[in-house]
Amino acid sequence: MSAPARQNRVTLRKTVISCVLLAATLLLAVVLMSLVGSEPLPVRASLCALASFGSTTCGLTPDQFDILFQIRLPRILLAAAVGGSLATAGAGYQALLRNPLAEPYLLGISNGAAVGTMIALVFFGANEWTRPLFAFTGALLATLAVYRLARGRAGATPERLILAGVIVTTFLSSVIVFVTTLMDATRIRSFTFWLLGDLSGTSKTMLPVSITIAIAGALTLTLNARSLNLLMLGERDAFDLGVEVGRVRILVFLVASLLVGSSVAASGSVGYVGLVVPHLARLSLGSDNRISIPAAALGGAVFVIVADTLARTVIAPRELPVGAITALIGAPLFIYLLKRA
Amino acid sequence: MLSRTSLKLLFAFAFLLTVTACRSVPKSTLDGPVTRNLTDDAGRRVSLPFKVDRVISLAPNLTEIVFAVGGGAQLVGRTSYCDFPPEAKSVAEVSDTLHPSLERVIALKPQVVLISTASQLEVFTQQLQNQNIAVFVTDPHDLNGVFRSIEQVGEILGKKEQAAILVQTLRQRANAVEQAVKQEQPVRVFYQLSAEPLYTAGRGSFVTDLMRRAGAISVTADLPGDWPKYSSESALAARPDAIILPTGGSMGSGNSSVTEALRQSPAVLQGRVYKINDDHLVRPGPRAIDGLEEMARALHPDAFK
Repeated sequence: MSAPARQNRVTLRKTVISCVLLAATLLLAVVLMSLVGSEPLPVRASLCALASFGSTTCGLTPDQFDILFQIRLPRILLAAAVGGSLATAGAGYQALLRNPLAEPYLLGISNGAAVGTMIALVFFGANEWTRPLFAFTGALLATLAVYRLARGRAGATPERLILAGVIVTTFLSSVIVFVTTLMDATRIRSFTFWLLGDLSGTSKTMLPVSITIAIAGALTLTLNARSLNLLMLGERDAFDLGVEVGRVRILVFLVASLLVGSSVAASGSVGYVGLVVPHLARLSLGSDNRISIPAAALGGAVFVIVADTLARTVIAPRELPVGAITALIGAPLFIYLLKRA
Repeated sequence: MLSRTSLKLLFAFAFLLTVTACRSVPKSTLDGPVTRNLTDDAGRRVSLPFKVDRVISLAPNLTEIVFAVGGGAQLVGRTSYCDFPPEAKSVAEVSDTLHPSLERVIALKPQVVLISTASQLEVFTQQLQNQNIAVFVTDPHDLNGVFRSIEQVGEILGKKEQAAILVQTLRQRANAVEQAVKQEQPVRVFYQLSAEPLYTAGRGSFVTDLMRRAGAISVTADLPGDWPKYSSESALAARPDAIILPTGGSMGSGNSSVTEALRQSPAVLQGRVYKINDDHLVRPGPRAIDGLEEMARALHPDAFK
């Protein structure tokens, strides 16, 4: 009994060290990226104001203070929540479906959430609370559809899963196209921007919700990481080893759909985060979910913060959709990872 | 082989001669189909029949122009967005501006299809030209461009005089506005096309020119593009003294509140947020002058007492 116990202690230490390092990186990213934007802010005064959590202005003009605390910082925090959510969800799906290519965007789950958000927008436009709720429902339905389609008589092979994802993605894309053609011309433009992933519409009322869901989701999956490790061996083996397969499966479905739903409702479909970040986490820290899930959550937050900073600065004062940046970074990085693996 | 090539060249040359000849001297229509050439806003030389009595408009501003120059009877097709003047609604619909139904366009047998901005469908243009349907592109970036569109449509439809009279009246109204606000201090204005995401009017948009004529300086007047997406923090930092919200027309109740970043702006604090019918500000047609007058009266009420 002493060898596995030591093993567990080593894992715990590794988890704590990598999480502390990544959390420090995340904090650094939040602070540094708060200093860049389309409007230049005085660096020292901004740092001083950030360090005081906004309790003193440190000589910033009211406008500069508002830019920092009302516009830039909330947007960065939302980027962190979205990045963390998507990367955690990606890691969850990958463990559950035993497929490294499982990703909310590629499996059509983001599209499911997008359709949900659109329905909420069309029928309950003013009520912001309905958006994550409908997005969650959409994501859950899309997940179930992919899962059912992927399970053949021989079980869910990786190829079947990706094919199922392609089918669900294209089907839901055409639903989205159909709904957008029913909208008026000016709305279509805003909508396509949102679909590509856009963090500029950060809503202060929904920001705490997104952050809470991101943290709670990452914690839940991390606490169930041991079961996920066993699930990756195969469902029957996991069952033999004492994992309540049904319970864990439902839990991951619910949590991952909630994570995708909340981030899509807030920012549209930001692609590739759930694919690239867990990959990098596993590549550098090993495939133990107890380490790779929390690492992916923190790394995802950093990744989207940096991508969104690029989106809002490269052609400032105009803006790009952040989804274009994550795909631009993500796709080549993914090809590189595939070739290396 | 060689002789065939030179023969082709000769034909091409002869054709070119005919075409150039046709441009200046309108021939009698007795000797067969005669064409004329017009240069559109995309810089294309468009060959048109002399007498155009079947035309399709693929943009609401062009439909408004067609009716305003008295060519409503020649309009055989329009988009679902073309809702003005009310008579336009009785004209056949060919789907929306971005995805016109090619079959329906061809079935309506137009001689000319009017398009707003060159961004619209190159393939589409090619296919129509193969059907002997001329495609004429308009792309105004200021008020003079709008006047040019009116004159071009007038010329195409054989309504040159009506177009000239219309342009003259519109120009007089524009000049009257400019005279009225001439002595006024220009107001620094932010034009909010939509709040979420934040879109505004850039350098290439004709409404930027309208704002200048209405005695305003758009804070985004130098931004590249027609309708760029804009950074919230830059909007806040610009501290506009007035905000224009195009809303209430086709937009319905959309875009009727100021974006969050500008809630504490001088414009909002001084109550200088003006809602103007969006159909007058986003359609480069005759009603753009209404938009100009409405903006000028809102921004400089004293100048119109």
